[in-house]
Amino acid sequence: MGNITLDKVVKRFGDVEVIPPLDLEIADGEFVVFVGPSGCGKSTLLRIIAGLEDLTSGHIEISGRDVSHLAPGDRGLAMVFQSYALYPHMTVRENMLFPLEMTRVDSRAANEKVERAAEVLNLSAYMDRKPGQLSGGQRQRVAIGRAIVREPSAFLFDEPLSNLDAALRVNMRIEIAELHAKLGTTMIYVTHDQVEAMTMADRIVVLQAGRIEQVGTPLELYERPCNEFVAGFIGSPRMNFIRGAEAERLGAPVIGIRPEHINASRDAGMWNGKVSFSEHLGSDTYLHIDTDVGPVNVRTTGEFGVHRGDTVWLNPNEQSIHRFDTNGMAV
Amino acid sequence: MRDTSTAFRVKKAFGYAMMLTFLAFSLLPVIWVVLLSMRPPTALFEPIWESPGAWTLDNIRSIARSDFPAALLNSFITAGSSTLLAMLIGVPGAFALSKRRSSNKFFASWLLLLLRMAPPVGFVIPLFLVYVRVGLIDTYVGLIFAYTSLTLPFVVWSMWTSFNQIPDELIEAGLMDGASLGRVLWRIVIPAARPGLVAAGVLSFLLAWNDFFFSLIITRSDTTTAPVAVMNFVSYASVDWGAIAVASIALTLPIVPIIVLANKYIVQSLGGAVKG
Repeated sequence: MGNITLDKVVKRFGDVEVIPPLDLEIADGEFVVFVGPSGCGKSTLLRIIAGLEDLTSGHIEISGRDVSHLAPGDRGLAMVFQSYALYPHMTVRENMLFPLEMTRVDSRAANEKVERAAEVLNLSAYMDRKPGQLSGGQRQRVAIGRAIVREPSAFLFDEPLSNLDAALRVNMRIEIAELHAKLGTTMIYVTHDQVEAMTMADRIVVLQAGRIEQVGTPLELYERPCNEFVAGFIGSPRMNFIRGAEAERLGAPVIGIRPEHINASRDAGMWNGKVSFSEHLGSDTYLHIDTDVGPVNVRTTGEFGVHRGDTVWLNPNEQSIHRFDTNGMAV
Repeated sequence: MRDTSTAFRVKKAFGYAMMLTFLAFSLLPVIWVVLLSMRPPTALFEPIWESPGAWTLDNIRSIARSDFPAALLNSFITAGSSTLLAMLIGVPGAFALSKRRSSNKFFASWLLLLLRMAPPVGFVIPLFLVYVRVGLIDTYVGLIFAYTSLTLPFVVWSMWTSFNQIPDELIEAGLMDGASLGRVLWRIVIPAARPGLVAAGVLSFLLAWNDFFFSLIITRSDTTTAPVAVMNFVSYASVDWGAIAVASIALTLPIVPIIVLANKYIVQSLGGAVKG
């Protein structure tokens, strides 16, 4: 069991309230991603759950047990850090044995657990190496291994892939997702990368200034963002926002339309503009267009042969238009 | 090609010449002391070529019979104990200063720096007056405490900087793994900061080992340390240069293996490099 309940959790540093009262329910076995721009409080929230930051007020329950004032090691959680945080003077084996030593697991059982985790993570060949002799991806796997052997009720990941290069990041993303499928343990994952959030999460928690903006499945957030912030944050390339008379004509003070929901044409359409920049990726073409309603980005499938300065007509798919009021809330 | 290679050789030769000159300059007193230690009193100040056969071990024998070996032992006991004490108190103290979020750190660092910078004479008079009252004059405990007032600020200061280089995440990982703060310090932080730890230990030992002033004021006869005991070879009537030379060598020799063994760590620590 690893369901986690945050009840009116508040965190203040001096006079600054970094987390205003916040409630959140995470079900057993769920993969929840906290996402938001830097400084939105997502890491602080994770560290509060871990016990590495004190609560100012409120309660945290893990598997029905109030852990608000328990030490980090007594909460039954395991954490994987951005910098891996492997003990540099210990071998891979000793690193993975360490949490078991601390909980006084009998040494034969401990060794078995470590061997099993090493097998799952393809680390068996490196057990007697020190972290300094491993690559970034291997270090990250050791960090995950050290978390697995504790058999925690939930895993906490604090931007675990930020230090890896792009190709390795995609691989590790899949490995972590597979691990979740295999173990079925609750995972909370913090990232500023919305692609990671969209691809891995059962549910995404979008945070801004310590506040939860929206909680939902990746598709819910993509299709029905509750406000302008979430609409702009989720989805890549970013949603276009149009204000003023054209927005009013389409039914709201502000309208949002995703780049993939606009058709570009050379002949006719609703908006007309000039290409300021185009990115040709082969599979897709991203067009940056200066129109009379403002700058608009468009994503077209395949190659769309235009150059800087060419005139292009745009047709938004009207069913896919998101409408927001003057406060930025979806209408 | 040849020109550059000649120029290079000249440069290299010049470099070696500079080094040898510097080495001779700094080693000359040491060589002289070694020679003095084995010369009889009559031949002490003669050039070696005037009495090339005048060698003796009498100086060593007379030192062995004197109070000097006991003083050397006192030096070991007091410098060793004060280093141990300073490490026991200073290392956890430095850990707390380095890793605790506290607004009083500035005050603590200021106070530590003051203790490090202030001349010992500023402490020794009040210390002497207190020691006379409580009966700590000429005791091991008195001298060890006095030395700890020298070594503790040094240990805290240098370990503070060493611990600052240990990432907080390493400590947090330890806490998440179920270790107490004490175990995190013992099992994770101290091994990771080993170069700094060895350097702090060795340098603080040397600080106490080389002390003359505190020992001179606080000890009388029972706990006199070696640097002060050397003075016993100076009397109103004469100065036993041969014995002083042997004593100087005896004071220096124990340091050599320590420095050789700890050299790597001291260089690493002073260079500020801690591998992650």
